Amino acid sequence: MKPDLKVTETMNCDALIIGAGGAGMRVAAEILERKPDAKIIALTKVSHPQKSHTSTAQGGLAAVDPSDPNDALAFHMFDTWKGSDCMADQNVVKKICESAWDQILWLENRGMHFSRDQYGSLSKRTFGGHTRNFGEVSAFRAVFEADRTGKGIMDTTWGECLKQNITFISQCVAVELLIRDDRCFGCIVFSQKTGTFLRILAKATVIASGGSGQVFNVTTNCRQNTGDGLALVMDAGLPVMDPEAVQFHPTGIVGPGILASETLRSVGGILRNKDNEPFMVKYAPKMKELAPRDLVARAIESEIREGRGILHPDHNIEHVWIDLRHLSKEVHEKQIPEVNSFFMHYLNLDPRTELCPVRPSNHYHMGGIPTNEFGEVEDGGRQVIEGLYAVGECAAASFHGFNRLATNSLLELITMGKFVGDRIAERIDAEPNSVKNINGEVYKKKFEDYFEARGENNTGRIRNSLRSTMTQKVGVFRSEKDISEAIETILDLKAQAEQAALNGQSLVMNQELMSRWELDNLLTISIAISEAAMHRKESRGAHFRDDYPNRSEEFNYHTILSMPQFGQIEIGWREVDMSIFRGGEVNYEKFDIIERKY
Amino acid sequence: MGTYDITLNIHRYDPEEKKSRVQTYRLKAGGITRFVDLFRKINDEDDPTLTWSSSCEHGQCGACSVKINGKPLLACELLVENAVDLFKTTTFDVEPLDNVAPVVRDLVIDMEKAYERVHKVKPFIINPKPPPAGGKEHQISPKLMERYLEATRCINCFCCTSACISSTRKFLGPNAMLAAIVRAMDPRELEKQERLSCLFSEHGVYRCHSSFACSFVCPKQIDVAHFIALAKAGALQEE
Repeated sequence: MKPDLKVTETMNCDALIIGAGGAGMRVAAEILERKPDAKIIALTKVSHPQKSHTSTAQGGLAAVDPSDPNDALAFHMFDTWKGSDCMADQNVVKKICESAWDQILWLENRGMHFSRDQYGSLSKRTFGGHTRNFGEVSAFRAVFEADRTGKGIMDTTWGECLKQNITFISQCVAVELLIRDDRCFGCIVFSQKTGTFLRILAKATVIASGGSGQVFNVTTNCRQNTGDGLALVMDAGLPVMDPEAVQFHPTGIVGPGILASETLRSVGGILRNKDNEPFMVKYAPKMKELAPRDLVARAIESEIREGRGILHPDHNIEHVWIDLRHLSKEVHEKQIPEVNSFFMHYLNLDPRTELCPVRPSNHYHMGGIPTNEFGEVEDGGRQVIEGLYAVGECAAASFHGFNRLATNSLLELITMGKFVGDRIAERIDAEPNSVKNINGEVYKKKFEDYFEARGENNTGRIRNSLRSTMTQKVGVFRSEKDISEAIETILDLKAQAEQAALNGQSLVMNQELMSRWELDNLLTISIAISEAAMHRKESRGAHFRDDYPNRSEEFNYHTILSMPQFGQIEIGWREVDMSIFRGGEVNYEKFDIIERKY
Repeated sequence: MGTYDITLNIHRYDPEEKKSRVQTYRLKAGGITRFVDLFRKINDEDDPTLTWSSSCEHGQCGACSVKINGKPLLACELLVENAVDLFKTTTFDVEPLDNVAPVVRDLVIDMEKAYERVHKVKPFIINPKPPPAGGKEHQISPKLMERYLEATRCINCFCCTSACISSTRKFLGPNAMLAAIVRAMDPRELEKQERLSCLFSEHGVYRCHSSFACSFVCPKQIDVAHFIALAKAGALQEE
């Protein structure tokens, strides 16, 4: 029997939130605080909002405490601008940094369990790239909840939504945006649990679907982070911005990809290749293991590419070693117990006596759906798509430019989330009611094709090939040769995917069907990342080209990429906002195009 | 490390046929392969229809709980060689947490249903203490926080609820109790009365038989039973 792909139910609401992680929940909580009667529907792909990727964030939230005499907003803005390699938008940087502390208080006053100092005030700690006096000394700027700050944000924002009146629909995905005449009216949603398609009409639609880390085969991202939101807008003919800006953390634990924190190197851990050679001295003779993140990641990747990596027998992934054996008992017990426990837990290794396998792990997507400072989604000509918003990792406003500073991502979720909530709450009463006659046009064909494919190919194996290709060819190192090979492979895998028959014809909780749909999204994001990486003939922030190792002034713009048909790429550009520099106020010169040297 | 020949007897459920069955999968796996990796391997190499749940896959979200040879645990945290060591066998029964909520398909339970237990205790601040004037955070002494901080680490994986000898009927379950206890102890919550009425209701802590199964199975090593004991003893407030 052919599965029924027709929409079985239409729901109406004021705001539809696609993705119930930290960003989406912050939007919803803000709307509900200001408009308690607003009807909000929040979708989550996972089994419950608490299972979102936000929950796994450890570090903290950067925010300048106005009562701290040593810190200043200008320092935080400068660090973000410098870290971004002059690609963040300064209007967004200013707005986020200025509202940061208020948002910390919002969370604290609503019950987040921030760590405290001996006086009972919020504790603060320092992270790489956060400085005082424009780069002079480290700034203690990040508030945190032990090593589970993301969980604190998730629990608090979700709790606030639950407290108000909100409708959650779990285990469902948005499969098609309903857009007509540059206005979004909602979307078509596939509910996995019931196996039905719903049409949800909304005055405001917010894409908060998270990152795309599953594009790579070693990633710190959750299983569901397959870039669905980016693919959703690209399928609607809208562009993505700076897709090539992808951050890799140098030391992910093989194979789960869990972060082995920077601390390992700062306490004296030594990176070694298969010949036991401590190789960092070749790449950074002075700083060695303490060189910046991107440099260490490239050094490890070089060793692996030149055949001096080790193939992990169980996970089939190449890596190098981090040697912690020489560190004192005290260091092991007091300074790195957490990361030690990851090695013990996931690899059954004792870092006190054994070498530990690490390799660069995909961590964060700076690029995403282009928005303005209010989180409104824009097309390639900077025209706002009315009623459509994007926020969180899937969006690019852009706060991070080409390299994100530690603790700035959680900050972005809660500040941009608040701005989007504000915008929607202000406009909700004035928004026109939804049109009744707008129906999905393309989702049905897509799903029909999935069910009609009759080839032997296996979705899982195609996904695995794609992910290895992206890691090897469009990862830490990129070059014209590698990227073109990757593009060729992606096109081939797309063709193979079209021949992958499903083993079950059910719509209800059909994991293979979901995985097939995700594969299309991964292929779409992969080609976007690859083509944009090919276009950007320079190295900037996390984007490193072997064949163009330096930053180039002529690329001082955001990449705007759209794909009218799979593989058919259109590349445009968007100016980087430099309003702080142009404003000419005190210290404006710090916000010029500056060198990213630490 | 070494390679193991593993047999998984996975309890499957087809929602359309409304039929349950046990399917046996045999596979080779390295010693440090996690159980989530085994499920993925089955999907990629043998049977793409096997359905299971996970998200973060490093013990932070609680989405992949299953019962292995009867013990509720996180599939992402169980390595093959540890499982062999723990259960003294290479054959494993894999079941969903079907005593917590209805099964949707195979190893996936209806988490929304499971969470209804947690929602009943209102896992947020019902009546927040007004914040100090001048845009400040509440001052909370580390000593006071220390009393309940451990309980805030709960990830609602429902392993405790599955293992609890009394949670399947009237008891809301250990993790729901933890969520209520955190706010009963949090100085920012002014609504203590409703909190206590809930904890001491017929679905509350007095349903607990003090088997300590919750503390025994908790993947986050939270001493859940300790907090329930505090509630029973009326010792949630600061001495």
